[in-house]
Amino acid sequence: MTDSSQKSAPPSLDEQLARLPLDIAPPAQLWPRIAARLTPSPRRSRPVLFAVAAALGCACVASALTWSVLRGRAAPEAPQIARHAPGFDEPRDPHYIAARDSLESAFRQRLALLDPATRVKIESSLAVIRQAHEDIRKALASDPASPVLEQLWQSTWHDELDLYEHVVEATQSTLTRT
Amino acid sequence: MGIPVGMDAAAEPTDVIAAAKGGDLRAFEQLYRQFSPRVFGLCLRLTGQREAAEDCTQESFMSAWRALRGFEQRSRFSTWLHRIAVRTVLARRRGLRVEYEVGEPASGLPEVADPAADGMPLDLERAIAALPEGARHVLVLVGIYGFSHAEAAAALGTAEGTCKAQLHRARGLLAAALGLVEL
Repeated sequence: MTDSSQKSAPPSLDEQLARLPLDIAPPAQLWPRIAARLTPSPRRSRPVLFAVAAALGCACVASALTWSVLRGRAAPEAPQIARHAPGFDEPRDPHYIAARDSLESAFRQRLALLDPATRVKIESSLAVIRQAHEDIRKALASDPASPVLEQLWQSTWHDELDLYEHVVEATQSTLTRT
Repeated sequence: MGIPVGMDAAAEPTDVIAAAKGGDLRAFEQLYRQFSPRVFGLCLRLTGQREAAEDCTQESFMSAWRALRGFEQRSRFSTWLHRIAVRTVLARRRGLRVEYEVGEPASGLPEVADPAADGMPLDLERAIAALPEGARHVLVLVGIYGFSHAEAAAALGTAEGTCKAQLHRARGLLAAALGLVEL
């Protein structure tokens, strides 16, 4: 009785703020929604993997055979397919990385066919692209919500594959002339 | 950025973070389970709307997953994640200005209140949700989640002085709304 009869002072604003719970449980269905968007569906990832593999095939094998027949035409499917590769959401997907590494390996082989001066220029361009990619990746780490950075980050993947395309084209021309 | 008051300094699961950085989605789910209540609370109070808070929480974790490989642990994971959440809220808000201003400010907030605290926080939550946006953002970050003024200013992309002024304004408005005398 004595406690209730004495009117205590209301808590200060700071006290009230300090009492607020910091954690609020999100709805249960939120994680499944996130997971669904983070997990590439088999229907999507497989074709991408096969597309990159197909790009490899085109770059390494088919082009060597086809170009001798289709003399004078632009290098066909490999670069076209390769351009789709960076579009998928999981650049750290081990399958994708493996395929991309193989594609780069094929590119290296083609590079060796070019004259040293051209090779230096291409290597230097590739270094610039990769440096840009790394710089943007770091910037994204501190500002991951930036759509501009994300767009730029993706564009560096395109740039790298475009460079592969140009090398393939140049090599094809060299091959068809010889 | 330091460790804001109220952040749990003991619960930074470095091994789980490392696994998630390596692309382990299950590890990332563990991080979600541990950190999403704080992120959701932050988003809910910053936006004042449950649906927007859900979207922002979702986008924040997706951004975190994409950027996790570049997370170099110079700051705590929780600090990094909360910064993502704030930027996600601000980015979304820039795109949906009308929706935010038209929306009922207190909608979606009732679950926030601590039932053990004699009903008082619910009034406080509603008063916070009704604050002008700039003042609310600063109050939520500095007054509730323990960001320093410098940290809040950096997160909100504003000057530290503006941050202090907004906090002063928020406190005055809250005190008036709750019938308190601000000292």
